[in-house]
Amino acid sequence: MSNTWIRVAVVVLTSVVAIGSVYADPLPPDATYRPLPTLPFNNVKTNDEAAKPQVMARQRALLMERYDLSDHPLPGVMMSGGRRPVQGGVRVKLPKGVTWDQLAAMTPDEVRAKGLLPAGFLPLPHVKQATGGQVFPDEQINEIQKQEQRNLRRFDVDFDLPEYLTPEFPAPIFLTTHPELGDVSGGHLLTIKDYYALMVGIITPVQMEGLRLLLTPFPQEEFNQTEDRKSADQSLGVACLDCHQNFHSNAAFHLTPDVRPQADRFRLDTTSLRGLYNQQIHGSKRSLRSVEDFSEFEQRTAYFNGDHVSATRKGVNLPDRPNQVAMMAQMQNIIDFPPAPKLDAFNRLDPAKATPNELAGEKVFLGKGRCVECHAPQTTFMDNNMHDLKLERFYEPGHTANDLVMLPDGPIKTFTLRGIKDSPPYLHDGRLLTLADTVEFFNLVLSLKLTHQEKDDLVAYMLAL
Amino acid sequence: MKHAITVSVLLFTLGAATGAGAQTGNPATMAPDTPANETGKPPAEHSNTADQLFVRQAGLGGMAEVDFGKLAAQKASNNSVKEFARQMVNDHDQANDELTPLAKANGVPLRKDFDMDHQVMRTELTKASGNEFDVAYIRGQVQEHQKTAQLLEWEIGSGQDPRVRNYAMATLPTVLSHLRHAQMIQSELTGSGPPL
Repeated sequence: MSNTWIRVAVVVLTSVVAIGSVYADPLPPDATYRPLPTLPFNNVKTNDEAAKPQVMARQRALLMERYDLSDHPLPGVMMSGGRRPVQGGVRVKLPKGVTWDQLAAMTPDEVRAKGLLPAGFLPLPHVKQATGGQVFPDEQINEIQKQEQRNLRRFDVDFDLPEYLTPEFPAPIFLTTHPELGDVSGGHLLTIKDYYALMVGIITPVQMEGLRLLLTPFPQEEFNQTEDRKSADQSLGVACLDCHQNFHSNAAFHLTPDVRPQADRFRLDTTSLRGLYNQQIHGSKRSLRSVEDFSEFEQRTAYFNGDHVSATRKGVNLPDRPNQVAMMAQMQNIIDFPPAPKLDAFNRLDPAKATPNELAGEKVFLGKGRCVECHAPQTTFMDNNMHDLKLERFYEPGHTANDLVMLPDGPIKTFTLRGIKDSPPYLHDGRLLTLADTVEFFNLVLSLKLTHQEKDDLVAYMLAL
Repeated sequence: MKHAITVSVLLFTLGAATGAGAQTGNPATMAPDTPANETGKPPAEHSNTADQLFVRQAGLGGMAEVDFGKLAAQKASNNSVKEFARQMVNDHDQANDELTPLAKANGVPLRKDFDMDHQVMRTELTKASGNEFDVAYIRGQVQEHQKTAQLLEWEIGSGQDPRVRNYAMATLPTVLSHLRHAQMIQSELTGSGPPL
């Protein structure tokens, strides 16, 4: 461009400024769109495999620094299927020289100024933040390999939490259509191989077809046929229920697919699909208004990280709305919570069945603890809203931990607490490992100043849900 | 960029980079000319296009910050704006000093002249006076710092050169703090609601 043209352009831009300017100084396009790969597959694989031990060691170090990861089950408390004990105790580590009570007595400004927010309360990084993508636990990988000979293992990263801190596997399945049957999983993981034999005679034709689609693997960002993948072989893809195992969760994690560009994505723990029939908003930050919208759009999000450009060359599957989406939705909408025999029809404790601890916990829940303000029992412990806890009142945003920039979360959907003992880890990114951790978190964030007894009672109450 | 061994040695002695935070290997961002890729450990001083583009953009922004800051320190009528402007000159002078050797190492020498967008901004500031100047400067600062924060986050996620990534990680909290400060002043000047 000649100097004359530059001068003309400056004059034009200056005159635009005079009537209220928008500066035409864009950020790099790759800050929004995922760039195409630059290296051959084998090259990437060799690099990633060589780097993997260091990647895992770094994540392990962060987890050890933030949490007590030991195996300490609560005596006598099992998850609903009786396959895994529920872990107990506060696992988030305190900063040196301060107790939980001292921390809870401080103002947010004080905690922030002194840098005393326990690191375990901060956003939890993905095991490899720069790459992101879906990471499955070994139990899921091994069972899918056994049943379907389909490979869900990545060559660049492994799952990072111990099994005993994740939901039981396989999880029991309860149906709203058959309360009299109880768990219909037969102790099996639903897969494309066994679903028909397990469910024929129990569900309708439409539900069966929905289930088949939810178990059919489709190409995904890290699991596909192209060179831009993270499985050693050309992958057959992933299925919806690879993360939502048996319509619950196996704690597989991802980076939140489409609410922020890659650099600012945060870890997302798989949410359970139990009780979906009562949810009015879907997605932790997207607030999609129906499970139909969600099921349809997941092909753009969980499967392809919200980048339709990159998806096209990997083979995106777009289910048709009136048939396939509706059938998938109808299947998801019959998944019930596990039984909670101590709750009445409006999800309040039956005093004849509950223990004094549980009843005391319910009182805290409905009163001083303020839990009820979002987790309303009558609407299955949700309020169908998103809320911003403004955790950044307690820390200075912008610091980086394992490549994840600590930024405010903004509003996040209220998740149900029914069957909550079955769903560790907690919060949208799984940053809290036990129910006791969640009590300490909210005690601080909501400035509740709960006593030790009140905290114990709250945990006892949540175990009864 | 690939031969700036003396520069990188100097940088390491200055403690500018440790490489501790770097995890490369994303096929979408690793530079195809990265040597030693059979080991999975690219040399610490090697950069990709994200590093290079980041250094260029950050350099342009940094230079403009100092220039606009000097102008505002002189021309602003509001004391908070003057003080903010002086802090910008100070902080960005320092940031630019840290960026200069990184730019050389990445083969992207920092430019001495404004890009067109900052030139437009400068023209606007030169013409304005009084309260109008203060508001224009602070509004510009809010937008500049918003964009810079995103640029830094992008480099942290997409960059390869640990020296540049570490620079971005170290700079981001300050930029977010400047952003909040600028928003507070904007709120004072214009009577808009609190920024956060």
